[in-house]
Amino acid sequence: MAVCIAVIAKENYPLYIRSIPAEHELKFHYTVHTSLDVVDEKVSAMGKALVDQRELYLGLLYPTEDYKVYGYVTNSKVKFVMVVDSSNTALRDNEIRSMFRKLHNSYTDVMCNPFYNPGDRIHSRAFDNMVTSMMVQVC
Amino acid sequence: MSVPDYMQCAEDHQTLLVVVQPVGIVSEENFFRIYKRISSVSQINVRDSQRVLYIRYRHHYPPENNEWGDFQTHRKVVGLITVTDCFSAKDWPQTFEKFHVQKEIYGSTLYDSRLFVFGLQGEIAEQPRTDVAFYPNYDECESVEKRIEDFIESLFIVLESKRLDRATDKSGDKIPLLCVPFEKKDFVGLDTDSRHYKKRCQGRMRKHVGDLCLQAGMLQDSLVHYHMSVELLRSVNDFLWLGAALEGLCSASVIYHYPGGTGGKAGVRRLQGTSLPADSGNRHRPGALTTNGINADTSTEIGRAKNCLSPEDIIDKYKEAISYYSKYKNAGVIELEACVKAVRVLAIQKRSMEASEFLQNAVYINLRQLSEEEKIQRYSILSELYELIGFHRKSAFFKRVAAMQCVAPSIAEPGWRACYKLLLETLPGYSLSLDPKDFNKGTHRGWAAVQMRLLHELVYASRRMGNPALSVRHLSFLLQTMLDFLSDQEKKDVTQSLESYTSKCPGTMELISLPDGLNLPPVPFTKLPIVRRVKLLNLPASLQPQKMKSLLGQSMSTKSPFIYSPIIAHNRGEERSKKIDFQWVQGDVCEVQLMVYNPMPFELRVENMGLITSGVEFESLPAALSLPAESGLYPVTLVGVPQSTGQITINGYHTTVFGVFSDCLLDSLPGIKTNGSTVEVIPALPRLQISTSLPRSARTLQPASGDEISTNVSVQLYNGETQQLDIKLENIGSEPLETLEVTSKILATKEKLYGDFLSWKLEETLAQFPLLPGKTATFTVNIKVKLDFSCQENLLQDLNDDGISVSGLPLSSPFRQVVKPRVDSKPANPPEGSKAGDFSHVKTLEAILNFKYSGGPGHVDGFYRNLSLGIHVEAEPSVFFTRVSTLPATSTRQCHLLLDVFNSTEHELTISAKSNEELILHAGECQRMAIQVDKFNFESISESPAERTQFTNHKQLEEERQEARGLEINSKLDIHWNIISFGSVEGILNQLVLEHLQLAPLQWETLLQNPSISHMLPTLVRHFPSYIIGYKSTENAERFSYTAK
Repeated sequence: MAVCIAVIAKENYPLYIRSIPAEHELKFHYTVHTSLDVVDEKVSAMGKALVDQRELYLGLLYPTEDYKVYGYVTNSKVKFVMVVDSSNTALRDNEIRSMFRKLHNSYTDVMCNPFYNPGDRIHSRAFDNMVTSMMVQVC
Repeated sequence: MSVPDYMQCAEDHQTLLVVVQPVGIVSEENFFRIYKRISSVSQINVRDSQRVLYIRYRHHYPPENNEWGDFQTHRKVVGLITVTDCFSAKDWPQTFEKFHVQKEIYGSTLYDSRLFVFGLQGEIAEQPRTDVAFYPNYDECESVEKRIEDFIESLFIVLESKRLDRATDKSGDKIPLLCVPFEKKDFVGLDTDSRHYKKRCQGRMRKHVGDLCLQAGMLQDSLVHYHMSVELLRSVNDFLWLGAALEGLCSASVIYHYPGGTGGKAGVRRLQGTSLPADSGNRHRPGALTTNGINADTSTEIGRAKNCLSPEDIIDKYKEAISYYSKYKNAGVIELEACVKAVRVLAIQKRSMEASEFLQNAVYINLRQLSEEEKIQRYSILSELYELIGFHRKSAFFKRVAAMQCVAPSIAEPGWRACYKLLLETLPGYSLSLDPKDFNKGTHRGWAAVQMRLLHELVYASRRMGNPALSVRHLSFLLQTMLDFLSDQEKKDVTQSLESYTSKCPGTMELISLPDGLNLPPVPFTKLPIVRRVKLLNLPASLQPQKMKSLLGQSMSTKSPFIYSPIIAHNRGEERSKKIDFQWVQGDVCEVQLMVYNPMPFELRVENMGLITSGVEFESLPAALSLPAESGLYPVTLVGVPQSTGQITINGYHTTVFGVFSDCLLDSLPGIKTNGSTVEVIPALPRLQISTSLPRSARTLQPASGDEISTNVSVQLYNGETQQLDIKLENIGSEPLETLEVTSKILATKEKLYGDFLSWKLEETLAQFPLLPGKTATFTVNIKVKLDFSCQENLLQDLNDDGISVSGLPLSSPFRQVVKPRVDSKPANPPEGSKAGDFSHVKTLEAILNFKYSGGPGHVDGFYRNLSLGIHVEAEPSVFFTRVSTLPATSTRQCHLLLDVFNSTEHELTISAKSNEELILHAGECQRMAIQVDKFNFESISESPAERTQFTNHKQLEEERQEARGLEINSKLDIHWNIISFGSVEGILNQLVLEHLQLAPLQWETLLQNPSISHMLPTLVRHFPSYIIGYKSTENAERFSYTAK
């Protein structure tokens, strides 16, 4: 259902980005890159709120003609961005939320790997499989 | 209404639009000079009132936009100023005519107009006219500003009258319906008497009055009018005008809240122009109501502050207005502009999220087919607005789209220059700097795919711009910084195109400055190839300079009086980290070794690779290399010649790869290992090359002390042979060779060596000094091999046992017992040596000749060089004395020495002793020869060394004596042998002969009263023992001395 899933480091560079179909990769790179503006804005607005009560899910970042871009930010300011086909109306906010939660869990697993250097690109097969499952699931 | 003005902002609602245009042929430069002066008069305090009039000047305004003037009065062109050149009175009527034509274009809306004529002088110019001003030329027109002020005042009068006129109009029965161009046909045949229609007319007129009030500087009045208008229009669902009324309300509120302006640069200018600070501006505006603008409706001004919208409301109202506009396709431009205005307000309010929503909406507003230029403008402005609200990435995205639009295939003349400029502006948005230094810190972190795309576009744009230097620079940058992200195929493509560009314009290390002030720093290819380690190499051992001992001691002592101090030790440690403990020599080729590897999937050709140094004049000798695809670490040696003395620092290296010159400094290379980069260069020294008469040896000696040997020679000699070694000394350096010292060192060997192995005479050679460059001198060394080959044990044993019996001199046995342990103590002889008859046993001797030489300036500084020559000698046995025995001769002082001589060589040889004739020995033959010799008394020779070395132990003493005796025997016997086919060979008699030739240690002398019968002595002793009155004995070993009676 998701067409592109990206994990962005605290310093706003990609740790992981995958999209289907692969030939439009650059387009999704642009989409995710520009969505970071909105993420930044939302995060800075949220910064004033109490830290522990913060909602990690950022909601719809912005809609484009064909896609909807959703965002999620962890407490360590790692961002997850998901691009969803806007024709897919079956997808509710709650489902997006649960997908992000799954993504977050999987990311946590990656971070738990003692051989993973925080800040490096993610090359985890488990994470890959999970992302693939989220991408194919419904479509 | 089709051309949107993206620069619009809310404040523009209060301005009067004045168009300034040239008529006839006016040079652009002159026109803009005047235009600039005119537009400096942008606000006027109307006389005797505190109302401020704002003017917006345009030099270009589409007339169809003018048609929307009723809808929003700030879109209406109310003033026209034309600028023209006119040089003769003859042209004047024509010029004036043109002015009128120009006036016609905006005629319906103009309040007033002016014509500025430049160049005309004389009669016509002197006629005072209000609408025409004459100036002799563009430099003498001081009164322009004054004229404009007058003009604006006249505009104000018209405006004010219109405002009052319209404001009071409502009392009249018929209010005209104001409408926008596209509405006109909709109202044909509509019932003009209906309440609905009347209300609509009223509402629209209210809004119009509000606009006029706002323009006339009566902010509060306009707010009131807008409010009323909104109510009226809402009731009749006149959405387009309702939107306009709401927008008017917003504009007025924005003007009230943000006197600084919202329109970016324009706003700033306005703020600078107005001498009134924000507070005073607010104070003055309500004052506007106190002026003579008497209006029935102003009675409703109670609670005027309430009329003004709060900042939050402004946005809500903008949203509402835009939603109304969006109902009309033809009002797209109005909607777009409203969005832009709202975004500017939100940017000031720092509400980026909402602003982005407005912008998002603006993106989707579909205007009619836009021209390419308009598209570019639109994208640029979107980018600017995103920048304004802090969305740099989005801004960069749109700027890039605008850039791509500049060169869209549909454009006949693509604007590559503009495209390139826009692309450069996107760089910060993609967090890409064009300085390769920023990429040296660790791994690259960024949006590689996006950045690579941008770089590719920059390369392409700069190439199409016709600036190959730029494209080379960008392409090098791409290759250098994005190497990790390029696929193999991409690497190939990029390098291929880079090579094709550099064939036209080689890449340099110079900073490229772009016209707009951006500097493109040079891109050194530090990754092509990657250098992992830099190591300065010492000179080869034979060329290493060495410090004279005495001078070294001095320099050490001047450093510190302490042998050890922790502080100094620390300093030394630090020094060592930077400095290397060897020296380079001026004028000699010095080497630096780099470990490099090629990260490319193809062969990398590196040309012109050389060193970059500082401190010393250095002639770098560049190298070219070719690294195989994805090679491992590969050593490369860069060489150069220091031309002066002092401290030299290796700062880096330069390369030419794919036609790009790079200077790579070591400081900026990540993860490089180096053993220091500073080394001392000492003054020039001569260079000595030696060549010898002997063949070079493949074997190298392994000296213990660690100094290396430059040349090795080997020679094969028969035992006892002497060979002359001619050494040719050639000065191949450029300095005269002034001093030479020769020393030799014989490498530790088990063999016992007799006599001098190497001997030479240096004086003859030194007489040829100083040796100028290119000259040669000769030096002769004699190699003499004297070895003891008779140590084959069983051979000895036979010989000795036999010898005792044969000699028949048992009295000599005490000595023998002394000697024997020495023989027995050598059972560790090589096993082959113990085999009887193994005469082919070869012994090797090795020695090193050291040549210490110096000269030139280096000599003055106390340096010398050391050259070592290794000499390897293989000694073969020649003659063996297999059996030694003596026969007593007629006299007790003489004996016959019988020697069994064995020729172990493969050649025929002749042997001669001192008196005998030559004896010919064939190969492998053994013959006995007899020599009559005097017996010796060793007393005299052995005594003196015994005294000298009284402190050495007994055994040493014994050996020394033996050696001395051996020499003595040698000189007495003087046995020579000659290998016929080889010439003369001198031999020595081995040590064993000694005991047979020695006088019996117990020596007696018969003392007779009649010395004449001494020849009968043996008989006497035998038969008349009683005659012996005593004997005196001397024995070599002291313990045996005694006297008997």
